Amino acid sequence: MALFLIAALISCNNAAPSVNNSSAPTHPRIPETADPPVDRSVMDMSYFPQDYPQLKMAGKAKGEPVVRVIYSRPHKDLRTIFGDVVQYDAPWRLGANEATEIEFFRNVSIHGKTIPAGRYVLYAIPGKEQWQLIFNSDLFTWGLRINQQKDLYKFTVPARRTSIPMQIFSMQFGKTAEGAELTIAWDTVLVSLPINFQ
Amino acid sequence: MRTFLLIFLMTSASAFAQSQSKFPPPDKSPMDMCYYPTNYPILKIQNKTAEPPVCRIVYSRPNKNGRTVYGELVEYGKVWRLGANEATEIELFKDAKMGGTKLKKGRYSMYAIPLKDKWTIIVNKDTDTWGAFQYDEKKDVARVDVKAETLITPAESFTMYFDKVDNIVKLVIAWDNVQTKIPFSFN
Repeated sequence: MALFLIAALISCNNAAPSVNNSSAPTHPRIPETADPPVDRSVMDMSYFPQDYPQLKMAGKAKGEPVVRVIYSRPHKDLRTIFGDVVQYDAPWRLGANEATEIEFFRNVSIHGKTIPAGRYVLYAIPGKEQWQLIFNSDLFTWGLRINQQKDLYKFTVPARRTSIPMQIFSMQFGKTAEGAELTIAWDTVLVSLPINFQ
Repeated sequence: MRTFLLIFLMTSASAFAQSQSKFPPPDKSPMDMCYYPTNYPILKIQNKTAEPPVCRIVYSRPNKNGRTVYGELVEYGKVWRLGANEATEIELFKDAKMGGTKLKKGRYSMYAIPLKDKWTIIVNKDTDTWGAFQYDEKKDVARVDVKAETLITPAESFTMYFDKVDNIVKLVIAWDNVQTKIPFSFN
């Protein structure tokens, strides 16, 4: 809504342009001179404990990390994501470019099912009301071709609506009483996957 | 009306900013990944590779942004994380040799000590850390010296990729007007 209004205002060209520009969310400018170029959907990495590498640097990390995810972060821009850019009921790589990768550094449990320590491809089948989050063993692949014969574990989680859209696809771990949860958010949809290891 | 719209707009923008703040913003020096074989994930979905990957590097890509990099931003003779943010990670999916030094399959951090004419490339056991701030020489598994070459066209973004020339695999590291090439063998 805010984005729409900003776009509308800019196109109307009514108000002072400087005010318009300062109000509009800006995307990071990424130079395109390097070879190979930098992706606009930049790669990122999240750990649990959150910001583990910084904690480790500061001498505050206790033991090994529990889990980390490596994913790429597309922008919403002015698009409707779910049901449009990302189709309902079809496999989606949870981001962009390479398939999203999750690595557990110890055994964990999700919805009562034990997930052995190791590395997996994580992808989703988003629906209107709920999403399936799927762990798959076909590693080191590009996200557009998921080999569903190598699915290992599937979990169904509710799709929650947010009032304000998330511009950039985000994945982040948070602490819970039972361990952690992986929260995934883009546009006006947010899902959480509980990860138990206490 | 215009004032109302502007106020509305600014409030929305600030609420928008707040909603994003629970999640990390994208890094200014974005992360990237390079494989050997080069572009392995794409080769894989094109059925152009039957073997598992051999090596993968996860690193972050700062921009030159008009700055002089070597000798200023990156000091000569000091351990540097080869990029930005998290320490650069190299993972070998099989045993390898880096410039003649044997490396066991596994996940490592990677650093460099740049000098004007040569760089020392360091592979270290300590992973999942930030920068080179806690770098511990005692955890080194390999140190290899390579020549520092001058690039005619400076690289704006810090870049790492594997290149195969005359049957020799080299990890190319380029930024600003300096390039180094580290020979690898994976037999």
